[in-house]
Amino acid sequence: MSYLIDIILIALGAALINNFVLHYFVGICPFVGVSRRIDMAFGMGCAVTFVITIAAFISWAITTFVLVPGAPLSRWIAGFFVPAETAAGIDLTILSYIVYILAISSSVQFVEMYVRKFYPPLYKSFGVYLPLITTNCAILFACLTIMSNIVGVDDPSAAWDLGRSLILAIFGGVGFTIAIVIMAGIREELDLCDVPEPFKGAGITMIVSGIMALAFMGFTGVDSGLKKALTAEKPSAAARIEEHPAEAIIAAQKTTMPTAEQSHP
Amino acid sequence: MTAQGKTHFFSQAWLVLVLAICFGGLLAGMQIVLGPTIEANKINETLERVPELVFGAAHAKELSETGMEIKPLSVGVEKAGKTVRYNVYETKSDGRLAGWVTKSAGQGYADKIEILIGFDPQVEKITGLFVLDQKETPGLGNKILEAGWRGQFLDKSTAKPLAPVKGQAKAGHEIDAITGATISSKAVTDIINTAVADLRQPLTDKAKGQ
Amino acid sequence: MADQPTATERFIQGILPENPVLRQLLGLCPALAVTANMKSALTMTGAVLFVLFCANVITSLIRNLLKPHLRIVVFTLTIATFVTIADRFLAAYLYQMSKTLGPYIPLIIVNCIIICRCEVCASKQSVFVAGADAIGQSIGFGLAISAIAAVREILGTGNFFDIPVLPAAWPDWVVMVLPPGAFLTFGLLIGLVNWYETVRAQRPVREVLEPAQSEGA
Repeated sequence: MSYLIDIILIALGAALINNFVLHYFVGICPFVGVSRRIDMAFGMGCAVTFVITIAAFISWAITTFVLVPGAPLSRWIAGFFVPAETAAGIDLTILSYIVYILAISSSVQFVEMYVRKFYPPLYKSFGVYLPLITTNCAILFACLTIMSNIVGVDDPSAAWDLGRSLILAIFGGVGFTIAIVIMAGIREELDLCDVPEPFKGAGITMIVSGIMALAFMGFTGVDSGLKKALTAEKPSAAARIEEHPAEAIIAAQKTTMPTAEQSHP
Repeated sequence: MTAQGKTHFFSQAWLVLVLAICFGGLLAGMQIVLGPTIEANKINETLERVPELVFGAAHAKELSETGMEIKPLSVGVEKAGKTVRYNVYETKSDGRLAGWVTKSAGQGYADKIEILIGFDPQVEKITGLFVLDQKETPGLGNKILEAGWRGQFLDKSTAKPLAPVKGQAKAGHEIDAITGATISSKAVTDIINTAVADLRQPLTDKAKGQ
Repeated sequence: MADQPTATERFIQGILPENPVLRQLLGLCPALAVTANMKSALTMTGAVLFVLFCANVITSLIRNLLKPHLRIVVFTLTIATFVTIADRFLAAYLYQMSKTLGPYIPLIIVNCIIICRCEVCASKQSVFVAGADAIGQSIGFGLAISAIAAVREILGTGNFFDIPVLPAAWPDWVVMVLPPGAFLTFGLLIGLVNWYETVRAQRPVREVLEPAQSEGA
């Protein structure tokens, strides 16, 4: 039940509340470039959703099994060369950006080849957008969000699983499609309007996006309200206390004490 | 054929391979040089707040010369069949338990709010509150950062759950909600109430054990 | 090679005539996302300068060894490495800033400015020209995003570099530091630059070229 609530909140957050384009500003390039006609915009949206899902799957797998400290695959491979306890502490997160970008661009290449060979009609409808998508920030942004929810969490059991990652990616893509299709609809109408010369093209698109972003801000708070309505707090049952290893304590003692009064940085 | 294919492959890709090895070495070097600093930054971010949350800002300065020991703990609380983990910092001054600081998070209006809460050893009153991370609306919800508003929580008893009220707070357990940001105010008090409910038992037990 | 622009020309071009953000509409993602205040805009510029300079110089050094069909892989690999370095560096020495910028530092990898400069300039010209081009383009990028950040920070909070500049009676236009403010400011700025270009284009060409040549001498 709580898992289902989690999924609903992630989906809602990615598609509407924190819309990729209008809240995080990722994927602006196609948003400005391919939003002249509704059918093209929809094709682009579908292509992004498709690629983002594949990229999310790959990056989730790589992060969980290879990159995260103590990941099973890297531990197993390192186990052949170094003692087991060194292998357990192996941390490859520094390589994450390189790995993600290479994974994204090669998967886009493969998808393009596969689709062109086996589904020519599909290739005709959105294949032309595929190469453009490699440098679309939205894809890498989804990978990074998934990574920060696996590597950056205090509690290992709260790390995102495959389901959550895929939901984020799919609904992030849906949110992108919603935004770009609405934009294309508005721009088709704008062609008939008398826009001042300097604002034609990107200028008016940005101002319209500003108004759309304002409208999408109306969704803020929906998730907190929904979460309150769906979850009922239950009293705690049992507790367990674990002491941290010695390194943490040493680090703690080395800390310089603060002198400035408390103010938020 | 195969041998020829192989040479062909290397003549094409040797540059990529050489670059990959060079960059790999560069990154490994970076990690060795900067890794410890980054780790320390992450720990210090919460740790350097701990003394003032337990002893108060003025007192924490005097104490910094004398011995103070901070020990990070991880407390797991079983709740509805799931384990919820809290990062708790046990603070000792001159060998005696002085208080606890816990990191806790919850859903705010816009996004997650992450706060540090200071308690006395028996978890009977709140000794400090600090907002680590929030993305509330600037000018409304982000007033939870202001020292004036956070100051209300100082010395509040944890016996009764805290309740934010609009207008003037009267009873001991009431907190002034920020005008225009009732949800953010409620989010912070809810995080505190949940943390108190979850941690009171395990922490008092541990305090008695010493 | 004779008709390739010189180092000075590349440098000048990056700042306004071919400004990456305002004229070529590249790198819009950071231009909108990190411009809520001046400090983050400048940190972002620094990171872009570092990555673009290193990527351009390395690409230029190996330009004769590049195989055409493998060049994008080489560019991506180089850029991703230097972005990682910039990211780690910020995390080590400017921790709060790196938390504020969050995913937007790694997103420099897919920032079209850098791959475009590698492709257009660095893979064809010498190290010196590539370096000058990187600095010029980064200054152009910095100017554009600082302009947006200045407007947003002053109107949104009444501060400039966290120092109050507007009277306390100023009602903060909170919307300016929120996402819609970024779109609106940027849209108006594009309009302004386009208007300026049309006005300038109507004047004789000689006047426009003069400042560039006098600086080159």
